[in-house]
Amino acid sequence: MIEWTTSPFFGVALSVLAFWAGTRLQKKTGLVICNPLLVGILLVIAVLVVFKIPYENYNEGGALINLFLSPATACLAVAIYSKVKLLKENWLPILVGCTVGSLTSMGSVWLLCRLFGLSDAMTASLLPKSVTTPIAVSVAEAHGGISSITVVAVIFTGIFGSIVAPFLIRLFRVKDPVAAGLSIGACSHAMGTSKALELGETEGAMSGLAIGVCGLITVVVSMFLL
Amino acid sequence: MTWLEGTIPRRGEGRAGKKRGVSSVMKILCQVGVIFGVCWVSQVLESLLPFAFPASVIGMVLLFLLLAVRVLRVEHIQAKSDFLLANMAFFFLPAGVSILNYLEELRSAAVALVVICLVTTVLVFGATALSIKLTLRLMGRGKGHD
Repeated sequence: MIEWTTSPFFGVALSVLAFWAGTRLQKKTGLVICNPLLVGILLVIAVLVVFKIPYENYNEGGALINLFLSPATACLAVAIYSKVKLLKENWLPILVGCTVGSLTSMGSVWLLCRLFGLSDAMTASLLPKSVTTPIAVSVAEAHGGISSITVVAVIFTGIFGSIVAPFLIRLFRVKDPVAAGLSIGACSHAMGTSKALELGETEGAMSGLAIGVCGLITVVVSMFLL
Repeated sequence: MTWLEGTIPRRGEGRAGKKRGVSSVMKILCQVGVIFGVCWVSQVLESLLPFAFPASVIGMVLLFLLLAVRVLRVEHIQAKSDFLLANMAFFFLPAGVSILNYLEELRSAAVALVVICLVTTVLVFGATALSIKLTLRLMGRGKGHD
């Protein structure tokens, strides 16, 4: 039966099914922790482990899905372009906030990795974890990181960030919606942005912009840091 | 990825709805061609660059420039781009599953990973928020707010 799973259709179908189940679960429960991607990954892993299906068989289909990552990342440009007016109006706070945020993120991750004595590969995997998954994965891979660890760290950061965002806004007494949105986007990318959208339209748009700008800054800075 | 939904202007949606059949199929095909073409050019550029700069980010910058100088208009790539952006999270599923191959690495660094994620998230939020508050105050916009 195992040899039936060597078809690329198996991996694609299993992935879609697992992701769909995750989407349903989040709709039913309404919990941030039931992130469809997280649930989907765990379900696929569970199926592979329980039925002893080799990872290579799954990846025949998985590689096909992977192919779409690069075009999807490029299309972030369309999302940013549609907010170009907001970008022009607030370019200075966006630039300052995203630069400080990205530098703080990479600096603190790098320091903590050294403190924990993690390997260079682990450090490279974690360094871009505050930016959106496609950019984080590209940065990690370009510098010898392990992309799956980056994906896990990015999702974990995003979930945590979107849960604590309202609390952090009060802790740091952020009253300006521009500052609140940018801060959420800088620390917890797209998952935080979905939370920012709940807080308000400006917060959401600013958070979305921060994803792109922080992503670019992270790419450039990581070239010098690693 | 809810933040992307509803943010993109949906020009030309009505027209596309009426013209079904061959022409709308061709339209999608062209959009796939444009976006995948940009990605291919980015990969070529990546291999030519003397330093490590991710191809997908080059693609993002290229596509933004093409939109900014109006070689491309948003409606040229709207449908395909909507499809890719709306399903972004799904495309990461195989990358996440590949963690199966790195369980050893992960087990030895699990505690560090969790601590790093928690601590840095709070730090990044604080640093970003404070720097923007300062910028807005220097610009004279933060007055009366805090």
